[in-house]
Amino acid sequence: MPDAGFGIKVVRGVTLLVDPAREPCFTCVDSDTEMVEWPDMSDVSRRERLHRHMNNECGALEIAAQALVDFPDAPWELRLRLARQAADEARHTAALFRRVRELGGKKGEFPVMNFEWSFTSRLGSLAGRLAVQNRTFEAGLIDLLGALRATWREAGDWETAELLDGILADEIVHVRFGNQWIRQLTELNPGVLLQVAQAVRLLGQAIRGLAPQEGEVNRSGFILGTKPAPAVNVQGRLEAQFTDEEIKAVLRQAGFRSILPHQLGEPA
Amino acid sequence: MTLTVRARADAVATFRFVSVHLMETLARWVPTTPELEVKVLFGRHIWELAQHADAFGRRTAELRLGPHASREPVTTFRQALERFAATAETAARVDGFYAGAVPLLERLYRDYLARTDALLDEPSVRILERALADLARLQGEREELRRERPEIALSDPDGPQRLARAAQTLDAAVDFRPTAPPDAAA
Repeated sequence: MPDAGFGIKVVRGVTLLVDPAREPCFTCVDSDTEMVEWPDMSDVSRRERLHRHMNNECGALEIAAQALVDFPDAPWELRLRLARQAADEARHTAALFRRVRELGGKKGEFPVMNFEWSFTSRLGSLAGRLAVQNRTFEAGLIDLLGALRATWREAGDWETAELLDGILADEIVHVRFGNQWIRQLTELNPGVLLQVAQAVRLLGQAIRGLAPQEGEVNRSGFILGTKPAPAVNVQGRLEAQFTDEEIKAVLRQAGFRSILPHQLGEPA
Repeated sequence: MTLTVRARADAVATFRFVSVHLMETLARWVPTTPELEVKVLFGRHIWELAQHADAFGRRTAELRLGPHASREPVTTFRQALERFAATAETAARVDGFYAGAVPLLERLYRDYLARTDALLDEPSVRILERALADLARLQGEREELRRERPEIALSDPDGPQRLARAAQTLDAAVDFRPTAPPDAAA
């Protein structure tokens, strides 16, 4: 697999690409145990949530940009989509940075992790990167943002809730084109399915390798692995053109928790 | 004499090549530039260049060169673009792009507009007029960055001019094919 000129690092036995460039004010860490996180909606928790999200959006920008560099022979229409995605993620980064500052925060106030970049940009196929970044990480963000809108509204911060809703709309588009292009590339070359399967398998291995041990805590004392996964955003996933079967599978994994009444013939 | 259909196709395909090259240059710089505000600026402008390349690529089909046809520019200009893409320092990247590459594109597009038949070649004219408006906006957004991060300043003010000097006119940028015989397709 290519290292895109970045070199590699090994974290808990998982081989990853070295982090993208960050300013010295940022502390880049490799493990959830080195992060901080608060379960409440205190001021420091709000800043940390937005700061973490800002860095993740920056990572998504970097992943889309690097895909343009690494796959110059990809179909032009797909490259155009990636270019648009890069610009969207850049806007998200800027909007979250603006909100961080409005809430009294600053760049580098909290540690950041670049796992999504370090895993995805090491994959040697564009279909694999779409499967991991767009169909997995960003699809997970559809679920997360669907839930977080309500969390911020309940905390009385409608401005942040609206910001997250704007980001959600864009992310659905990114996941949808990922789904569309994987189908299209597979029709052209069935071997693409193997690339997708390999990428998803490697992701599973990496996540298992990096998963916290039972009882491990992060730097703010939060016990890792105890936070439930967000409820499945069925409507968002439908808009992103996941099939009914795929959504049912995600619902089953999530114990049928959904932020919407069931639509797919399964109990919600 | 105004540009022939064949020469228009060559120029527009070259504009596409340069737009894609610059899009890829910004894309290459995004993960390797530390400053967050600069990453964001480059990231937003990747899309602008992609849209220009897309419009040029649709036009090359209409000019009988095929859809999304690209033509490499004159060798010296291409080499200058490659050297530019290897720029490492943030300030040199920023000023090289906004004070070097963007003015260069503006000059080439204006040269084309001055030389083409604005009526017969109106679709190309409209694409270039929109591109010029976009490029002016890009410069404005670079000024916003300057206000936000004034310390990102260039130590070598002549740096951006090196690329700008690489192609002062359309003829210095476009590798025009020889004129076709009268009965040949463009």
